[in-house]
Amino acid sequence: MEVELDEKGLPVGMRDAGYKIRAVEDIGEIWRIDDEWWRVPIHRRYVEVIIESGRRVVLFEDVITGEWYVQKP
Amino acid sequence: MTRTPLLTSDSAACCWIPLFALRCETARRPELAALPVALVGSDDTRRVWQVSPLARHAGVKPGMTVSQAIGLCPALKLCEPDPVHYDAQFSRLLAALGQVSPVIEPAELGRAYVGTDGLEGLYGAPEKIVEAIQLRIVDCGLRIGNTGVESAIRNPQSAIRVGWGQGKFVTWVAATRARPGEAVIVQPGDEGTFLAAQPLAVLPLDPDTYRRLRQLGVRTLGALAALPEEAVVSQFGRAGRRLWRLAAGRIAEPVVGRVAPEPIVAALTFFSPVGERELLVHAIDKLIDRALGDPRRSGWRVQVVRVRAELEHAASWLAEATLKEPSADRERIAAPLKTQLERSPPAGAVERLVVEFTAFAAGTTELQLFARDAQAAARAGRRRALRTAAQEIKLRLKRSLLYHVIEVQPWSRLPERRYALIDYEP
Repeated sequence: MEVELDEKGLPVGMRDAGYKIRAVEDIGEIWRIDDEWWRVPIHRRYVEVIIESGRRVVLFEDVITGEWYVQKP
Repeated sequence: MTRTPLLTSDSAACCWIPLFALRCETARRPELAALPVALVGSDDTRRVWQVSPLARHAGVKPGMTVSQAIGLCPALKLCEPDPVHYDAQFSRLLAALGQVSPVIEPAELGRAYVGTDGLEGLYGAPEKIVEAIQLRIVDCGLRIGNTGVESAIRNPQSAIRVGWGQGKFVTWVAATRARPGEAVIVQPGDEGTFLAAQPLAVLPLDPDTYRRLRQLGVRTLGALAALPEEAVVSQFGRAGRRLWRLAAGRIAEPVVGRVAPEPIVAALTFFSPVGERELLVHAIDKLIDRALGDPRRSGWRVQVVRVRAELEHAASWLAEATLKEPSADRERIAAPLKTQLERSPPAGAVERLVVEFTAFAAGTTELQLFARDAQAAARAGRRRALRTAAQEIKLRLKRSLLYHVIEVQPWSRLPERRYALIDYEP
């Protein structure tokens, strides 16, 4: 998932499944999950965004690799 | 489909009558008042649901099996639940509250929120609004053991407790802190201070979260709100954010009421005027069915029903009934109309018949207990239809392509770990 970030590291745009660029209209909640340290550690930063169509999307950044994903469901 | 408009209010009063069902039972059977009493659960008759203070004193607790309860308290008087009666009493309470404010939100049996935005002009300060609410409850003829103002307000034996404040959570906590027959008012701006001293148990917590917070040394909402919000979120996920914000008084959920629907009308014009009473009775049944099926009626029960008939030679006939217990059942609604039709029938043949529902009472989830049999039948029908459809898909596409969602780790903080898909084989 390609996500464009602002200077604070928050998403301002994303490319959706149809490869269309969607602007982020609003940022909702932001939270972090650090889990499963006993096997393969998981460190994620979740950001809830409202994209231009008004749809709510939950994105997360894999803090280890720096890659972004859409949380489904 | 028409969507019922919503009314909201930020300032609210929470009216709470603890052990509502049990109080309804002891009010109509006063001999129970001096005995240890327990109500058996509606959905699980092997367990006790509500327990009187005397029974609790003997060690009986809600959720215990009946045999455990009797083992602890051999004198325990067990009562079968009568949800229709409790529901009728609760409807009275809601109707009484509806006379104070149009914004009413039932939460559970015995607990309802009243939106109080704008009521200052009518009643004055919050204390006066609360008093108006208490008086309405007393006046409505609710049979919960308090028969007069003196016995219901400022009386330690009273059942009614009221909380007033901004948002539903604060008012609910305030109501739980109120003494019987009294009210706790949380002035705007004092929410944080009020909540800080409250025990953790007032939060809507699952037992595991409660236990973990206690293990972390958090005993009060103040202690929880003193933690950094992000730390609570990190430990408890999204639910943690909500808990933290509730504890800190940062969330003020408004009361959401619904506008009662406009009158629902169903009419029938006869090809030729009808005089036979059986035919009229049949027509009334059909019209009531049609009116009950109106989507605007969903979530409401009928309180007042009226039948109008246009007769030959421009004459007319009218019958009206106010149901003591609001209902969404055709037989119950039609019964008083049929009696009136029997007693004073139309003076001529009927050309046009009109059924109108003119007043409604909010439905409550408790009443749905009685729809269980019908729901079970509907579910079985749906399962059969689903099985047939799934077999057809498999025949055409050679594989099912339908999946069943199952819970795997519902407690996981990683959303994708909570559920899995398995092939659906009906």
